[in-house]
Amino acid sequence: MATKLEDGAEYSFALEYHGPPITRNLPRAVPINVDRIPVAAVVSPVTLPDKLSLPIVHPLSATEICKKFSKECKLGSSSELLTVSPTSVISFEPGKNGVGEGSFSKELGLGSETSVSPSSVNNAFEERDPSNGPSSNSNCVMSGELSSDLESSNRDYGANGGNDLGFSSVNHDNSLEMIGGVGSSGALGFSDSFEKSMELSGSLQKRVSSDCKERLDFNESSQPDWDSSESVMSMDYPSSRVSSCKFGDGKNESSRDVRRASLVRFCDIESDDEDTDEEFSRAEPEVVIAKREPAVKVRKGACYRCLKGSRFTEKEVCIVCDAKYCSSCVLRAMGSMPEGRKCITCLGFPIDESKRGNLGKCSRLLKRLLNDLEIQQIMKAEKLCEVNQLPPEYICVNGRSLYQEELIMLQSCPNPPKKLKPGNYWYDKVSGLWGKEGNKPSQIISPHLNVGGPIKADASNGNTQVYINGREITKVELRMLKLAGVQCAGNPHFWVNEDGSYQEEGQKNTKGYIWGKAGTKLLCAVLSLPAPSKSSSPCGEQVNSVISRSFPDYFEHRAIQKLLLIGYSGSGTSTIFKQAKILYKDIAFSEDERDHIKLLIQTNVYSYIGILLEGREHFEEESLNKLRKTSSSDDTELTGCGEGNVEKTPYSICPKLKSFSDWLLKIMASGALEVIFPAATREYAPLVEELCSNSAFRATYNRRSELKTLPSIASYFLERAVDMLKPDYKPSDLDILYAEGVTSSNGLSCVDFSFPEPAHDDDVDSEDLHDSLLRFQLIRLQTKGFAENCKWLEMFEDVRLVIFCVSLSDYNQYVNDSDGSSVNKMVLSKKLFESVVTHPTFDQIDFLLLLNKFDLFEEMIEQVPLSQCDWFDDFHPVISRNRSNNSNRNNINNNPSLGQLAFHYTAVKFKKLYSELTGRKLYVSLVKGLEPNSVDAALKYSREILNWDEEKNNFNSSEYSVYSMDANSFSN
Amino acid sequence: MHNVERLVAGRKRLLLLDTDVAGYARSQGKTPVTFGPTDLVCCRTLQGHTGKVYSLDWTPERNRIVSASQDGRLIVWNALTSQKTHAIKLPCAWVMTCAFSPSGQSVACGGLDSVCSIFNLNSQTDRDGNLPVTRMLSGHKGYVSSCQYVPDEDSHLVTSSGDQTCVLWDITTGLRTSVFGGEFQSGHTADVLSISINGSNSRMFVSGSCDSTARLWDMRVASRAVRTFHGHEGDVNSVKFFPDGNRFGTGSDDGTCRLFDIRTGHQLQVYYQPHGDNDVPPVTSIAFSISGRLLFAGYTNGDCYVWDTLLAKMVLNLGSLHNSHDARISCLGLSADGSALCTGSSDTNLKIWAFGGHRRVI
Repeated sequence: MATKLEDGAEYSFALEYHGPPITRNLPRAVPINVDRIPVAAVVSPVTLPDKLSLPIVHPLSATEICKKFSKECKLGSSSELLTVSPTSVISFEPGKNGVGEGSFSKELGLGSETSVSPSSVNNAFEERDPSNGPSSNSNCVMSGELSSDLESSNRDYGANGGNDLGFSSVNHDNSLEMIGGVGSSGALGFSDSFEKSMELSGSLQKRVSSDCKERLDFNESSQPDWDSSESVMSMDYPSSRVSSCKFGDGKNESSRDVRRASLVRFCDIESDDEDTDEEFSRAEPEVVIAKREPAVKVRKGACYRCLKGSRFTEKEVCIVCDAKYCSSCVLRAMGSMPEGRKCITCLGFPIDESKRGNLGKCSRLLKRLLNDLEIQQIMKAEKLCEVNQLPPEYICVNGRSLYQEELIMLQSCPNPPKKLKPGNYWYDKVSGLWGKEGNKPSQIISPHLNVGGPIKADASNGNTQVYINGREITKVELRMLKLAGVQCAGNPHFWVNEDGSYQEEGQKNTKGYIWGKAGTKLLCAVLSLPAPSKSSSPCGEQVNSVISRSFPDYFEHRAIQKLLLIGYSGSGTSTIFKQAKILYKDIAFSEDERDHIKLLIQTNVYSYIGILLEGREHFEEESLNKLRKTSSSDDTELTGCGEGNVEKTPYSICPKLKSFSDWLLKIMASGALEVIFPAATREYAPLVEELCSNSAFRATYNRRSELKTLPSIASYFLERAVDMLKPDYKPSDLDILYAEGVTSSNGLSCVDFSFPEPAHDDDVDSEDLHDSLLRFQLIRLQTKGFAENCKWLEMFEDVRLVIFCVSLSDYNQYVNDSDGSSVNKMVLSKKLFESVVTHPTFDQIDFLLLLNKFDLFEEMIEQVPLSQCDWFDDFHPVISRNRSNNSNRNNINNNPSLGQLAFHYTAVKFKKLYSELTGRKLYVSLVKGLEPNSVDAALKYSREILNWDEEKNNFNSSEYSVYSMDANSFSN
Repeated sequence: MHNVERLVAGRKRLLLLDTDVAGYARSQGKTPVTFGPTDLVCCRTLQGHTGKVYSLDWTPERNRIVSASQDGRLIVWNALTSQKTHAIKLPCAWVMTCAFSPSGQSVACGGLDSVCSIFNLNSQTDRDGNLPVTRMLSGHKGYVSSCQYVPDEDSHLVTSSGDQTCVLWDITTGLRTSVFGGEFQSGHTADVLSISINGSNSRMFVSGSCDSTARLWDMRVASRAVRTFHGHEGDVNSVKFFPDGNRFGTGSDDGTCRLFDIRTGHQLQVYYQPHGDNDVPPVTSIAFSISGRLLFAGYTNGDCYVWDTLLAKMVLNLGSLHNSHDARISCLGLSADGSALCTGSSDTNLKIWAFGGHRRVI
């Protein structure tokens, strides 16, 4: 029967059974140790949007099981079986919708193993025969139940109209008309019970393979069919394997909630209902740790897999579910142990907290089975993998459970709490005192850690009315204070610092040091109170410098945000990359790197000199020709006599330099410059010095703009050539920034960095904390291999943002392509941009366009119109007349310079192109690669884009769009 | 122009061939290999990577596997126990290929950093527990797409690269012994994606490239390729020598695998399974069984076909087996004794498949 709910969605659910009493003999299963058998329940609908999350199982110690049946027809779940322990509570976490399915499927895997177990025979298998249903869309409910103390009659089954409550054995025949494969889905978890009852009826030949995954498939695809009314299913499976497609046939558009309702779950503790969850977590904020148990029940002491052996055989224990395996089974059951000693089915589940102490401690059994290297790897994985870490929400400091970052900070501080276990703690941030909630201090850890909430007065449950840093101290502490000679008369309130100095509240002067006296520490030991160890020097500084701290591997992996920096060659990606290194790294370039860069710069300088010398020859010839021409036209009669003297031009050099020049040019032509030069630098430095002061060389240098092969950056080096070629030359950051070829043009280079925190003050809220922990990786990629079918670009599918760099000055630059015709570089940049933007790998990734070299561009645009590049031919700036008079000035309010106009125009061009190609918005920023602040601003802008992106996902609130306003405003 | 000529030449060549392997085998009355449900079973799952697996290689003996993954790690596995013996964090996370040395003492890997790095597995780990790079072979001007040790020589290695060349390296000196292709005539005209060294004559190797050709090289003659094999209509992603050393197989973006004869230069067979729809899944990786009777080919759509090389018939699809990978199979490798196949997948796992039933090895 279909029912309209308040929200209009159509749910089908079962109603209470009102039919005549059942006369048939209901078979009853014999109970065995009921307490230890997991209970299956039907999961009620979860109304939250479907989101992916880790499956979490909340089992409970078996003895506490008590069962309740809630008859909430309203929720649309027909038979809702709640099994809730009154004492244990699972704190509800939003977005955990996957729970039901996840745990379900996991348990399924375990459940499959029950089929072997001889002890799990008891089952009460119930099925309502849908064929009796009067209406075609009647819902079908089935529930497998292992424990027999749950009387089937206790439950209200959704029997519609005259439907019978009964067992499958009664009504099954070979072609049972099932509604939507319900039966199979309901019974899946109980392969053996299902099987048994089916066999009973003699109608169903179904072999359930023990493979868990396959059954999952089977199950998942069958779920949508839960209330599909049309699907007629044959329960007669000819093949040994249940193929999922069979169930897919009758796939129906069933609502998610209904599907959810169909989930059968094996669990000890059941938090079926969202409401229930919330209710309970509100009632009891205490964190209770869920424990997962193996579904397989075996004879005590036997191996959980082969069911052989006794308690005396050596066994390895799963750190999640406590299953024990003998030596011949352990490798099979635990596989390659990517998370340490866990059953394969337990992968991804948090460990049993009581076993935390054993993490990384190898047993003899494993040592016998595996070699040292293998054990090392397993133990390493066990200790360091992310799921095995202490869950931060289990640690409660000053009444607030921790965030991941806080826990890491706590554990990685110089003086961490020893043997941190889940629980409630108090922490005195000023003195570093640390203790269990309601108890005296147990330890002094590093102070000033920004973890947890503010300390409460009753944190240690003291009743002395003496306060230390706002906490009422315990009697033991008071005794210690008194013995240490602290005046405690009149119930004073003390401030105690990490060094033990104390002062009374509201007073300035330090009254003394608690641990100053020699005997105090001994006293503390006697009273089992903590005393500061010698090593715990004030270390606030250390704590605050987040960047220098090392993070656990797993955390680093997760928190890193990858930024991909690409651009056409010459667009300045290398400069931006170097700039980022200089800006954010403590040591931008190591000594080795600097040595290498030094040689590189020196080689570069020689090559620049070589280009100049080549130009000189050219100029010399040119002026000689001119000279000859003038001389031939003017004084033809002097041809014979003046040969030696006439050929003296401003570009001539003396023979010594001439020979050097010839030699250099020869080497350059042979392409062996890199091979010879670093070594020969010392030898030729004096020659270069001479050369640089040579008038002919200077004359050539002045005409350098005519030399096309000389990069514009060369003048920076040529002016300093003499210094740079000295053997003791040390390249400065600026030199490195200007130098070509420092970041290799082959392949890729990457740098990890995080933005330095702004001026640090003590109470940063956790948002900021999170921000400062964000780490970025800037990846610079060569673009030479960006063919249309670039295979390796998919390796960058995990980047968060692609920063595409375009040099604005490219509009006036040309390169020869393979056909020999010259192509505008801006057009090439555009082409690359198009191919990168449309690459399927970057389908969902934001792009930031950096328009680089604005400084150069501003100069250039005054001389060469932007329409030089075909793409920009419709650039018609409106320039006020008074501006054109002083063309060099820019940044006059309301009167942007030509450069800025052109920049805006270019930005809009790219934005249009981008939105045409992808339909999304392109972020644009202006950059001067050589100016650190400009690059800093651009990279911070990229961080804001990422932030904004995250916020957008979280809230969709407009508040955060403020982020990008300023940076965006000038690009629009 | 060149391409057109080549195509014409290729067609002519095809016309000259009166039959292919499959036709001949059928005329001889051969029947395809049959696979029962237990003949090729997944016996191990190697879990431990956190990113897509890109490449794997077996040791010649001792049954160890090295795998390279997107998580920036090389993992050395014991295939028998399915445990890791080494997890090497790479300085450059973008790794594309890895190889085991013939002695099993060291592993090589290469990737987007354009460097081929050698790790000696016996060297001491540093403070953080990372294995240091023993040697960096730098000189390529593009990404290193594939690397393989010269059989029985721990000191020589061949790499292929995105700079259109292949290089023979001397690992002891770290220098290039010879460069194949590049500015020389008759080299590849696009990125080289894969290489395979002839098992029976380790002087010869074959390379597959984005220029949709495969080329045969003699290591002693770097200047020109011995032979160029046309036929594919897309990038040649994978090349592998046939066990007898006289043939080699290729897998390509055009969705076909082909078998070429190195002595005649002829294409012997095309392996192509027509799909109903138009999109043809490219072949990512291929491997031959020890006898050469079977060709394993991974496709981008997640299929992994087992071809009967004689009859050009697809006899099994590993991708459709119930305990197969959840995502596409990106790399394949057969153990040296031919008893097991290892597949690496985008689902971060590797699986070892063993020949069960009555035949141990095919």
